[in-house]
Formats: sequence, C-alpha cells, structure tokens
Amino acid sequence: MKTDITPSLLNTVKGKQADDILRTCVHCGFCNATCPTYQLLGDENDGPRGRIYLIKQLLEGKDVTESTQLHLDRCLTCRSCETTCPSGVKYSQLLDIGRSLIEEKVPRSFKERITRKLILNILPYEKRFTPLLKAGQFFKPFTPKVLRKKIPRKTTKGLLPGNSHSRKMLILDGCVQPALSPDINTATARVLDKLGISLLTIKKAGCCGAVSQHLGEEEKALVFMKNNIDAWWPEIESGAEAIVMTASGCGVMVKEYAHHLQHDSEYASKAQRISELCKDISEIVFNEDYKQLNAPEKTKISWHPPCTLQHGQKITGVVEKILGDCGYDLLPVENSHLCCGSAGTYSILQPVISTKLQQNKIESLQKHSPEMIVTGNIGCQTHLQEASNVPVIHWIHLLDN
Amino acid sequence: MTIQDNDISSDLQQRVLESIASKQPLYIHGGNSKAFYGNTVDAKPLDVSQHTGIISYEPTELCVTLRAGTLLSDLETLLNNTNQILPFEPPQYTTETTIGGAIAAGISGPRRAYTGSVRDAILGVKIINGNGEIVSFGGQVMKNVAGYDLSRMMVRSQGTLGVILEVSLRLLPKPQKEITLTFESDQTSALQFFRESRLQQLPITASAWFNDQVYLRLSESETVLEHSKKKLGFDLLGDYDDFWTDIRDHQHHFFGRTDKPLWRLSLPPATKQISSVDDNQLIEWGGAQRWINSNAPANIIQNIATSNNGYAYMFKGDLPETPCFPVLDKPLMLLHKQLKRNMDPNGIFSPGRIYSGL
Amino acid sequence: MSLDTNTRNNLLFQIGEILPEEYLLTSEEDIKPYECDGLSAYQKLPVAVVLPETIEQVQRIAKICSQLKVPIVARGAGTGLSGGALPHEGGIILGLSRFNKIEQIDTDNLTATVQPGVRNLAITEAARPFGLYYAPDPSSQIACSIGGNVAENAGGVHCLKYGLTIHNVQQVTIVTIDGELVTLGSQTLDTPGYDLLALITGSEGMLGIIVEIVVKLLPKPHAVKVLMASFKKVEDAGNAVANIIAEGVIPAGLEMMDKPAIHAAEAFAKANYPLDAEAILLCELDGSEQQLAEQIETVSETLRNANADDIVIADSADEQARLWAGRKSAFPAVGRISPDYYCMDGTIPRKQIAYVLKRISELSEECGLRVANVFHAGDGNLHPLILYDANKEGELEKTEKFGADILTLCVEVGGTITGEHGVGHEKIDQMCVQFSPQELTQFFAVKNAFDPDALLNPGKAVPTLHRCAELGGMHVHNGQLPHPEIPRF
Repeated sequence: MKTDITPSLLNTVKGKQADDILRTCVHCGFCNATCPTYQLLGDENDGPRGRIYLIKQLLEGKDVTESTQLHLDRCLTCRSCETTCPSGVKYSQLLDIGRSLIEEKVPRSFKERITRKLILNILPYEKRFTPLLKAGQFFKPFTPKVLRKKIPRKTTKGLLPGNSHSRKMLILDGCVQPALSPDINTATARVLDKLGISLLTIKKAGCCGAVSQHLGEEEKALVFMKNNIDAWWPEIESGAEAIVMTASGCGVMVKEYAHHLQHDSEYASKAQRISELCKDISEIVFNEDYKQLNAPEKTKISWHPPCTLQHGQKITGVVEKILGDCGYDLLPVENSHLCCGSAGTYSILQPVISTKLQQNKIESLQKHSPEMIVTGNIGCQTHLQEASNVPVIHWIHLLDN
Repeated sequence: MTIQDNDISSDLQQRVLESIASKQPLYIHGGNSKAFYGNTVDAKPLDVSQHTGIISYEPTELCVTLRAGTLLSDLETLLNNTNQILPFEPPQYTTETTIGGAIAAGISGPRRAYTGSVRDAILGVKIINGNGEIVSFGGQVMKNVAGYDLSRMMVRSQGTLGVILEVSLRLLPKPQKEITLTFESDQTSALQFFRESRLQQLPITASAWFNDQVYLRLSESETVLEHSKKKLGFDLLGDYDDFWTDIRDHQHHFFGRTDKPLWRLSLPPATKQISSVDDNQLIEWGGAQRWINSNAPANIIQNIATSNNGYAYMFKGDLPETPCFPVLDKPLMLLHKQLKRNMDPNGIFSPGRIYSGL
Repeated sequence: MSLDTNTRNNLLFQIGEILPEEYLLTSEEDIKPYECDGLSAYQKLPVAVVLPETIEQVQRIAKICSQLKVPIVARGAGTGLSGGALPHEGGIILGLSRFNKIEQIDTDNLTATVQPGVRNLAITEAARPFGLYYAPDPSSQIACSIGGNVAENAGGVHCLKYGLTIHNVQQVTIVTIDGELVTLGSQTLDTPGYDLLALITGSEGMLGIIVEIVVKLLPKPHAVKVLMASFKKVEDAGNAVANIIAEGVIPAGLEMMDKPAIHAAEAFAKANYPLDAEAILLCELDGSEQQLAEQIETVSETLRNANADDIVIADSADEQARLWAGRKSAFPAVGRISPDYYCMDGTIPRKQIAYVLKRISELSEECGLRVANVFHAGDGNLHPLILYDANKEGELEKTEKFGADILTLCVEVGGTITGEHGVGHEKIDQMCVQFSPQELTQFFAVKNAFDPDALLNPGKAVPTLHRCAELGGMHVHNGQLPHPEIPRF
C-alpha cells in the first residue's frame, strides 16, 4: 500500500516500523472476515483494514479526533486478523503504535481518564487488586448488579507439591490470576510434579505489562517488563528450563518482550532470552509423557481457545490433542476463531460489544451441552463464567486428578 | 454431412435497414418449428434459416461458433462425430429447427435440470441491432464479464431485441454411455424420489414421470453405470431407444393429444403434487417442469402455479383471452418496455411476439 | 463533480432522518477508509458513507438520491480488484455490510436465500450441516460478499465444472434508482420475459442495488481428490491443461501457478509446494468413488505424457485444504515479496496459454517489472500479478501500461479483458479496445432503461465514446474510423 508518513515521524524507529508494516498490507480485506467487531458492526472503520487506514492517516499527519480513538479502542486486540492475513501484516504492533500516538494527540474525557487510571493503578498490582476483590466477594450480595456478575466465586488454592526435581521451571504468578483463581498455578505445579518438573515462583515478578501496553501506556509497560526480567534472571542463569505461562494473555506478552525491548541496549539480549524461554503450559505438557494423566471418566467438554493462544502465540490444536489423548470428549464448537469479548480490560471499557460477543460465544460453546467449558486464559475464564450455565475452568485442572 | 457455408448477413442487414427506413416491422424466424410459441405477429417475415455454417469449432476449447440458420440436426451430427454435446439438449419439434430459433425461444430439453439451460451455455452472440448495425457481445471463452451480458439476454427474447446472426456455445464431452432405468411409482412417491436423488451422487441426466412410471437417464462410463444401476436396483428400459428424444421433441404419445390445451408449469422442483388438475401429467426435470393436458380454466392453472412460486405457460392449444406467457409484475414489465424501447427504438423486431408492447 | 453545498446539506439532512448518526459517516476522517476497495491504487472520497440495515431504508435512500440527482456507489465487502466500488466525489457510498443474514436454507429445492452482505464462504458454512455447498469460490471467498459476487459475476477455482455466479444464482431482488423493489429470476428453472437476471449479474452496480439473492446449493461431492503436478517448463503445464480437456475430463478445478507465485504462497500457507518447479498445476476431481478412480487414472497419465515431473495425489480433506490454501491466498501472499501488486484478469482460449505466458514474460523484461502468474488454467482465465512499489515515482504508471499491454494481448488472441473481476474503474479504457462504438452505444441503451440519469455507479464499466475517441483505441471497422464527428486529441 502506498504510504506518505510525515518525514519527522519516518525518521523515528516507530515511524519506520509503522511504514514497513503498512507497506506489507495489500488492502485485500480478508482480515475483516474474521474480525469480531467488523462482523458485529459492519463499518469498515471497525475492522482491521479500516483501522490500519485510520492509523495511516494518523501517521500521515491528518487531523484525527475521538472518532479514530473510538475505533481503535473498539479493537479487541484478539489478533484473529493476523492469523487470517496472507500478507503477514503485523497488525497488533501497528495498533500499539497507533494507540500510543493517539493517546498523545486526542485528550480523553474526565470520566474516561478516571476509569483508565483506576485500571492502570489497580489491576496490574496483585497487592492492590486482591484485597479489593476479597472485599467484593464478601459484599457480593450488596454490590450493584453490573459489578456483581464480574466478581467470581471464591476458590481455594489446594496443596503445593515439594520442590524436589532436578528439572526446574519458573512460573509467572501475574497480577489478577492469583486472586481470581489461585488454584490454577497450584494445579499446574502438581501436574508438572507428576511429570518430573518442579515449578518455582519468583515473588518479585509481577504483572507482565500487557494491561498498560493495551491502554497505550507503553512506558509503564516497559517498567513491568524490566522488573520481571530482573526478577527472573538469577534463576535463568542457574538453569531454569523455561518460564511457564498459565494465562495465554501474559504468555503472548512475555514472548514479545524481545520485540518491545529490541532497541534497549541494556535489556535487549536478556529480553530475547526470556522470550525464547517463555512457554505456554500446553507447550510444556505436550513435550512430556502426559498420557499417564488419563481422565478418570469420559467427560464432554467444550474448548475455548483464547485469542492470545491461537492468534497471538499461534498455538492451535495442542490443548485439543492433549485432552483428546487423555480421554476427554471434545465437542465441536462453531466460530472458535472469534474472541469471547473479554480481551483484557475490554469487557470493562467496551461493555456493549463485549457482552454481545460473550453471548455469541457462550451460545456456540454450549450448543452441544458440554459438562464444562475449558480454556487457557484467566480473562476468558472469568468472562465466560459470567454467562455460562456450566463451570468454566482452566484446562490444566483436567490433568490434575 | 456437409453444412452449407452461407453468409447472408449483409442481405439480412439490408432488410433491417429498409424496415427501419419504412417503419415496417419484421417477424424474425428460422425453421418455424416453434411458430405456435407466442403471439402472432402481423409483420413481414425475415427468414434467417438460410444463414448457415460453422464459423469455428475446436473441440479442446469446448466451444462452437456457428450461424443462426444452421439446422440443429446438422449441429448434432457434427458434435457427435467429435464426442461432444450441447449441454441444454434443445428440442427439435420439426426437422427444420435452427440453432438461432433454439436460442431465441430458450426452450431446454430433458438434460436442463442437470447440465444447465440454453442461456447457461451461451458464450457470445453477433446480432443485427435496432439501428441496423452488426454488433457482437460476449466471446468464445467461458469467463467473460466485460460489459453487460447482452448475449444471454437474447435467450427467450424471441426476436424482439435483434436478429441473431451467430452464436458461440459452450459444449460438454459426450458421456461414454447412457442407460435408461424405470420403475413403477405414483406421483407423490416419484416426487419424493426426485427430491432425495438430488442429494445423491447419481449420474442422472434426465428424469421423467408419466403414467405411474418413473424414467431416469444415467450417463457415465460403463463401470460407473453398472455400479449405479446396482445401487438403485431398477430395471432397464429395454424396448424404447428414442424415449428421451421423443420426450424432448414432443413425439412421445403424451404430447399427441390435441383435445385439451397443453400447459407447461415451471415450478420449484420440490413442489408437491398438483392434484386438482391431475388428469394427465408428465413431469420432467426432477419436478421442476410439469406438462399438463387440462381443460381446467386458465386462471385456476395460473393460480396453482403462482401460489407455488412458479409460472404457467399456455404452451399449445387455443384458449381465447389466454396469452401464452405468464403475466409480469408491473415494475418488471416497465423495465422490459424501457429495454425494448431503447434496444429497438424503431419498434421493428417481432413486436408483440411475447407480450403486447414489447 | 462534487456536490453543491445546498444539495449536500439537503441530502445529509434527509438521510439523517432515516439512519442513526453512527451509520451516516460524513467527516473526512471516517470516510477515508472507504476511499478505495481491494484495488488500492485508485482513491476518491465520497460525500458520505451510508450503512443501511433494511430494504426499506435502501429504497428511501435511492429515492432521495434520485430526486437530488446524487450518484450512488454500492459497496459490499470492498474486496473487488477492479475498483468497482471506487467512490464518486459527488455521490454516496451505500455500504451493504450490515445486510449479513442468511435468511433461509431450503434443503428440498437446494437453495439459500441470503442478504447481499453475507460472505461467500459463510453460505457454504451454513449449508455444510445439510451436506450442501455454494459452488462459486473466488479466492477472496472468506471475505467477499455475495452481493458483490453477483454484481461482478464472480468466478473462482471451480468455475470450469460448476460455472460462474450467473450459473449459480436463481433470483435477485434489486432496488431501482427510483426506489422500486423488483425481483429478477425466480425459484424455478426458467422465468418468463427477458433474462434480466443475466443482465443484472455482472452489471457492476450500474443497473440496480442488489438487496436479496437466492443462490443454488449443490450436494457436496462424495469424493474429492486433488492432484498436484510440477513442471520444469511453463509451456508443458500449459499444454497439459488442453490435453486434460481433450480427454473428455472436466475437472472441478484446474489451476496453475508459476515460480514466484509458488514461493509467495508457500511462505504463508506451508502447503508443501515444490519450490524448484517452474510451474505447478492443481487439479481437483470430484464425484462418486467410481467416477474418481477412472478420472484419476486418465488425468495422471495425461499429466505424465505432458512431462510432469512429479504428481502428488492428496486424498485427505486436510491435505487438500492445504494445497488449496496456498492457491487461494496467493494474491495477498504476494504482499510478502512486493509492497504492491496489480492483478490482471484477462481470459484467453486455452490453446493460447503457452504463447501468452511467453509474451508476458517478454513484456516483463522489457519494462523491468516482475510478474507472478496465478490463474484458472482450465478456463483460460489469467491472473498475472505485476509487482511494483507505489512509493516509487512513476512505477504505478509503468505498471498500468504493462497491464494494458497484457489485456490488449488477450483481446488479440481471441479473449477478453476481464474474466471475473469486472471492468470497474480500472479497465475502462481497455473496453474501447474490445468493443466498437456501436456496441458501447448498445450498453448505454441498456443502462438508460434502468437508470436514465446515470446515477448508479457512474463512470464505471462502460466508457463514453468521447473517452474512447480521446484514447484513439477504438476498433477500426473496414478501414473507417467510427464516429468521425467526435473530436480526437
């Protein structure tokens, strides 16, 4: 596609990067076909091809307003379009650039600023989020209805295995998952323990940085990234095999540390190594002798592949294969390439579209009456549980029996 | 067999130009085999049947280009020699039937429901237009979307939009072998069978129901036919080789009756049995074409067709006040009239042949 | 060309009464993404973009535009490759993307009733549980809309056996420029009167606005096999195509790709294409098990006799899907090897394939632009993709010239300038090469019958005689220049 980016911008690293991405786009429109918001709203501006055009205008120095901001906000960053795109357009990287640019150019309303501030200052910090959630769970009967459904029931952690194997891996606890579903990582530890691997949690590591990144706060995101790298580095040096991710949303972010820090002389090579070592839990299990973790009985389940797993990390068919091999009955699910509407903070910021996508998703997941729905990302899990009649859990629990 | 190479296009063009100058309309015809099909036109005849010859024919291109007056029977022989066929199996009600007439009338034969209609096979035409000019549309290749599709528009226009001089047609390889199977069945079960067979992978190329008997033509290689026959378990129709030609050309004894008007109902194929006029019916095209000999009042038959989302044609016979072709909706008729006015501004081409005012 | 302020205000006010604000886009920021379709080399800004949701809204909008003499350019998914949905500066874009419902699947009569914005592939997906599918499958089928398919008479890789859109549509309902609703064709196998269904199909939005379509569905073939044959010489592949047809086999699809195309497609689809081959043929055969067994044998032998190096037969659905995935994404995948490409769409008689490919490669060397060839070999429909860089001064112009030469070549060997993409904005000048002034005049006559004020997609598909005269590209019949009264420049 022809581009005409303002010279001052074209001289920057970001400007050059954006130009390269734009020029791989041939404007074929395939992306719109698998874009959840385009399918719902039918406006070119609400599909990837239109958003690329909007970002192009931004980069070319044209006047932009809240309208462009709204259409960029509406993007779920599910990256379904990247899977569809035959030309290999790195859409989400372009979107990041577009979002941070528009954040500078178009001021947000007071109300929007407050909401975003709250999210940015609470969600990524486990110590701030956990007490709030606990209070919410305690007062759930008394909270307003809209909020009430967002507060999940309390779960317990379960027991942690000992730290006895010679094979060691790190696990990211993250920010909201320990509060919302602390049992995921303990179950993961027990499963890996059976497979002969010990998991280590590094207390100093925290949010992966995705929340800030998606809200256009790139500097804040970089702080989180560097913090994690510093926290993990000693263990990496002493031989940890991998950094295990049980939330694919965090996984895709950590896998992209290398990209985000490529121009940072101090962190570039460390980030590269971290990204290489970062593995989704499905990738780890797949390479071990997992068939010993057979299901006690045949259970009908629907699998919801998180966008961050299938489009972000391009991992498809792996969890399905593991669960199928372990004796679970995976039901067919239509439109499994579409986002459930959770998309990080999207369900809070774009409730109308989010709810519509949630309804559509639940409809296709429950079509063949599963006994439970399994997924691989805490965001999808809590979002789907809001609307589901059956339990929604992380798939790793199915191997923990 | 030799097909006369006889180009009379300049004579025909001259006649058209004269007619434009004198404002005298023309009745365009070929072999007159379908003279009954439509309204009588009070005009000087323009006979195209002497405009004959094959312009080009290359079997590997699956395409033949020929002059409109060429006899269908001659074309059939030519194609047969190179193992090809016309996909739409046009009827030859008389031996004088020409290809131009077959295109203009747009009547397809038994194969229609399986390998397409007259218009589906059209690739291009050369015509004399309403200004007396010779113009070409379409071409000799299967895919061609340059300009409006005026070549397919000639089909069913019955000489009201121009004089067809040449046509290019898409061909099909001739099947290695054909067999006809038959079994006894009442109409309801026959329709049910047709409906189910549409979903199966059977090499059916023609179907009919008449007198509580279903007839199926299967076309394929020897082994495939053997397999299909076994799968279906029906009998071979032994002693009637020309069955499908007779159906196609209306030589079958069903079409011999002249005491009642012959109606042609074109319906969605899955339409249920038309029982109120079922005295004498022959069904073709898996249920999509139903021939009915009936004295029932025209409006009753027309209503049956309309209520089933179809059309009733008064194909043959004299019914006062009953035109051959179904009435068109008002906005649709308006478009027809505007098209006719623009394409034949002098109103000289077979006026009124299909509808009055066209 | 652009609208005067009064008319503009009047237009927007009246449409504003019909549509909510978010579906009437007027600011430059919002309408800019609509400035082009899948052919991004040409751009124009419309006065407004309107996104109605009901037929009644379309009728009212047509009436307003008709009354104010404002042009309407209908747009589906905006994936067209000839600039058919390029906006008009003085008119509106009427987007039909919100008409995306499949209204009915009739499993008795084997039809589907759909709204025009429904994606081509979505019809097949909806029909699949009933063992049915919609046959025409343009490469962009994942995204392109069925309304656009009808407007362009779209083809695809299965046309050879199953025909184009025209052969697979039974009924189309249009809104005329006067806002009238008219149904063309029917649910039966023929319809009285002129074949207006054929006329509207491929009319590129110039005769009416398509608001509902009834398509034919076919039962899914019991068995399908895909053969991939690789060749050391492009000519051999070209000849193999004619030989297969000569054997009396009509494959469901018969596609060819040359080396650059193979490499680009392989990078995206990982289809296991042979990277050292000069050309590959993909041949799909379908039918019953018995039919297939015989055909596979015939085709394999024909391919071998035509010097095919290697023949791979894909049996499983997965393997076949992978082979096709490369072919179907070949156009945009070329985006990986070139920032821009220009896709041509000429059709030629099959026997001319080898000659035309040779001429194209000569032309490519002459002008110094690379070409990747991806095409529907079975029906002679070529898609040379000219690779260029729009950011380089003068390169687009060079590309256009090269493209025009290819199309002229196609007409010279007895073919046509467009097989399935339509004339649109892009090939309008080449229309002067293919048609005489008398023939173009006949097209005007048709247009005038539907749209006397020329408000529907003006400036597309059919050039004015004046334009052709200026180009000097007209037919010269019997040594006489037509219409000598028209000034030439």
